[in-house]
Amino acid sequence: MTTAAVVTPSGPRQRDWPRTALAVWTTLCILFLLIPIGFVIVHSLNGGNSFNIWKKFGGLTWYRKIWNDIPFRNTLLNSFKAAVGSTIIALFIGAFAGVAVARRQGRWTKPFLALLFLILVTPEIIDAVALLGWFNSVIKGPFQNGLFGVRGGMLSLWVGHSLFSSAVVTLIVRARLDGLDESLEEAAADLGATPARVFRQITLPLMTPALAASGMLSLSFSLDNTIMSSFISGNASTYPVYLLGTVKSSTKPSAGAGAVVLFVATLLAATATVIVLRRSGQSSSEIASNLAAG
Amino acid sequence: MTASVTQTPPSGRRLRAPKFTMAIPGMFWYVFFYAIPVAFVVIYSFGRKPPTNSKGFVRLDKLSFDNYSAVWEPAFRHVFVNTMLIAGLGTILCILISMPIAYYIAVKTGPKLRGLLLVLIIVPFWMSFFIRTAAWRIVLAANGLLSNFLIDHGLRTTKISFLDTKEAVFLAIVYNYLPLMIFPLFVSLDRIEPALREASKDLGAGRIKTFFSVTLPLAGPGLTAGAVLVFIPLAGDFVTATVLGGAKGNMIGRNIYSLVIESQNLPKGAAAAMLLIVMILGMLAAAALIVGLVKYGLKQSRRVDIAGVTA
Repeated sequence: MTTAAVVTPSGPRQRDWPRTALAVWTTLCILFLLIPIGFVIVHSLNGGNSFNIWKKFGGLTWYRKIWNDIPFRNTLLNSFKAAVGSTIIALFIGAFAGVAVARRQGRWTKPFLALLFLILVTPEIIDAVALLGWFNSVIKGPFQNGLFGVRGGMLSLWVGHSLFSSAVVTLIVRARLDGLDESLEEAAADLGATPARVFRQITLPLMTPALAASGMLSLSFSLDNTIMSSFISGNASTYPVYLLGTVKSSTKPSAGAGAVVLFVATLLAATATVIVLRRSGQSSSEIASNLAAG
Repeated sequence: MTASVTQTPPSGRRLRAPKFTMAIPGMFWYVFFYAIPVAFVVIYSFGRKPPTNSKGFVRLDKLSFDNYSAVWEPAFRHVFVNTMLIAGLGTILCILISMPIAYYIAVKTGPKLRGLLLVLIIVPFWMSFFIRTAAWRIVLAANGLLSNFLIDHGLRTTKISFLDTKEAVFLAIVYNYLPLMIFPLFVSLDRIEPALREASKDLGAGRIKTFFSVTLPLAGPGLTAGAVLVFIPLAGDFVTATVLGGAKGNMIGRNIYSLVIESQNLPKGAAAAMLLIVMILGMLAAAALIVGLVKYGLKQSRRVDIAGVTA
């Protein structure tokens, strides 16, 4: 009785203040992360000539301008092409490698995982220098002159951007399959399905959430990639590389408009991903941690 | 019936491809576009730049350490040291700021709020980091929103001069790398059983003691992953710090870029890149050593404590 009487009044109050402090800190930090996005959207509608100084509401003027500015529009298009191309490559490589690592372990697995780990921890700038030398002085050919109408710079970007993201896809697919036991696949094989059919009808649907989440990650890595792209994009300059070139001059509202266009496209892709994940029955926090780090 | 069952496995085995078959595209890709090109960077770093107007990127006829001594000259060394300081301090700042956030999300929130907060932390990644970071200039410029607000309300008489300072460098870094620290920390804190914290509390440990002797050690893997995830890319990043910090944010990646792209000196750039890797590994080793020593010291001091109690 007495202990209960002592604990109850002081209990909630004592428990409350650290929670409140943590909640306030978290809110402030999330605002700190989000506020600039609001500024970018608002200032892309600036009627003035500068991104930084608000003059008057100008509507979609700058969006129309970037649509008519062909070199600028091409940098946006190149960003899309690089993101989609490298994501397809990363998903292809990562889906198969992830299944192999999770389901077909052998003496090859450890060295292969070590290689993946090295790729994940190598600073991007090292890969950039390496690929620049490799494409320009060793292989040349398609990576300079293009192939089937795809520019050399774009091929370089597909390869460069897919290195890191295919390693991420592999690890996320592996984590997903590790969490599911192999009995379904074994059952299908026992019932006479060929390995290809087991893969297509059982394994592939099982790993769809992992592919959706890691594909989304791969898209956003590629769209924002600046360091690697500034070395190897060559004749297929992307939007971040274009922005890097404008560092010294003053930023125009068109830069903000371009960023908003890419942002909206990414949001649409993310919504599609969340729908795929919801259908496969994942909870919202699982989806979020999948989208973030796997 | 039995005959067919015993017959199937051997024929299946005969048809089965080697176990690593499905990893072959990945192996090919990583060897051909990662391992070999990076090995070439090592070789290039000992070569020399061909004379102007001649073909090729590198001459390998006379290998030497010349490039390494060239990138170890005081002007370069200064940038290397600066890079390591910025990256190291930036990582520590990210750890300090994100620890309470990750703890709050993992321990104090229900599933709905948790999902919402995690998504809000990812959303910034979907907009160009460059333009997002540059947007801070709208607020923080000498004639920006904050400056005007403070002057209009009589809180300041002069314009603020925050941009292009050391502090602005760290603002840009924390702004861009914070989520990369929050997520691994969140994942490792999320895995800790609440029962462990309750047990610590039942045994008489206060909140702070429970955090430092139960929660923090168990969050070790997440802390390591976050530190690596922030420190390594940050050490090679040459854009983020300059967006708000200007010349104060100059890092070695910028020098590598101008050596390789602007002065077309791949060998010297390769040597600088190699030196960057060595320094990153050195810093990680030093950090691991310090953490190890602190852990060892704590263990020793606690052991003495318990011995005193039992005696």
